[in-house]
Amino acid sequence: MKDMAIEMPGLEKVRAKFLHLLPERQNQIAEHALAAWDATDPADVVDNLTAACAILHQIAGSAGTLGLVTLGEAAQKSELSIQTHLERTDSIHAQCPAEIVKEIDTFVSIGQAVLEQQT
Amino acid sequence: MDILAVDDDPIILELLGHFIEAVGGHRLTTAPCAQDALAILEQKNTRFDCFLFDIQMPVMDGIALCHAVRQMPDHRQTPILMLTAMTEKRYVDAAFAAGATDYVSKPFEVSELKARLTLVDDLVALRRVNTTKVFSAQSLSDQHGQADEIVALELHEPITIFDVDNVIENNALENYVTQLSRSALFGSTTFAFSLRKIEEFHAHMSAFEFHSLIADTAEIISDTLHRHQFLMSYAGNGTFVCVTENGWRPDAETLMDAVNLSLARSELYTNNAERIYPRVSVGEVVSLVWKTGQSAMGALAEAHTSAEAASAAHTRGLTDFWLTERSA
Repeated sequence: MKDMAIEMPGLEKVRAKFLHLLPERQNQIAEHALAAWDATDPADVVDNLTAACAILHQIAGSAGTLGLVTLGEAAQKSELSIQTHLERTDSIHAQCPAEIVKEIDTFVSIGQAVLEQQT
Repeated sequence: MDILAVDDDPIILELLGHFIEAVGGHRLTTAPCAQDALAILEQKNTRFDCFLFDIQMPVMDGIALCHAVRQMPDHRQTPILMLTAMTEKRYVDAAFAAGATDYVSKPFEVSELKARLTLVDDLVALRRVNTTKVFSAQSLSDQHGQADEIVALELHEPITIFDVDNVIENNALENYVTQLSRSALFGSTTFAFSLRKIEEFHAHMSAFEFHSLIADTAEIISDTLHRHQFLMSYAGNGTFVCVTENGWRPDAETLMDAVNLSLARSELYTNNAERIYPRVSVGEVVSLVWKTGQSAMGALAEAHTSAEAASAAHTRGLTDFWLTERSA
């Protein structure tokens, strides 16, 4: 991070913006995960998991470049779990497994820790 | 360079803005979605030397955008770098097949992105020189009223072939194999077809006719391989290099016969209605397993050389046959 900041002035500003957006993004992810967990209609499960996955994808794509490697890896792990689940061809993909909710919970906890470190 | 970056994540667009500013010498335009990017490209007087596309975007993804941009006459050859967190092979394959030149994995290292942009910059500079040559030759030929003599194509020069399934630019194929992971290279092979007597075709044909011969042959090879997962490029000197996947190990001789049969049925002619009889030879099938980075490039070169050697051996064999007949 230190080297990157030297190499690229302005990175701190982008990092601050990322951290500013993080609570809102985490809330959205958590809301989609819970909605998927509660849903009885398979389409709702898929829609909510897809929406959570898209936000996790964005975080996974930029957190590492901004020096937030652990957060980025946790986002990527959750994203891959959701993708793998959605690509299953059996009827199981129409439910939200507890493992995904647990992984998202871990991701949110890491995000909270990152945000606390900043304050 | 004038660069257009398309990503639905505002953080990435902002990062790229700072990055381009830090590197210097480039101008960046950004778009938050594929539709906005296409609207920018449809405006008059817009010109871009390079594109940076995210793969996963809502509504229209980066692969579809890549495909759409390649349909635009002004951007058939403009380098497209895919910026993607989706390093899964199927996404990368789809991006290359849609016309991407290279890809960078997100989260990207600033130094890596800088190195890739430098390569693209070099490519753009090289193409500017070639374009200048084309236009110089075109104006000269217009004066002489020879519409088809638009440019002299060097025999060894890779040619970009448009609108043939799974045929990509030669440098894109090289970027593709050098970036495949070790696991992805399991079950992958490379081999090449080489047009026999290519020097004669090149010497006796106009640039337009030669280009048409290469494009027609590429289409026939692509049609022959259509049941399989593959990428192919024209590497120059009459040679087409293929990379196959999914564990398919091709039977070279059978493939060569199938391509030659299609070539025979295609009835190819020159501009003077003179029929030509191109035929190909095929080289050794080289496994890509354990070959990453530069050694994968070495495998492509090995396949290329082997096909040209097979072509030369075939021609020599014919000559020897007639010499033997005479002496008998």
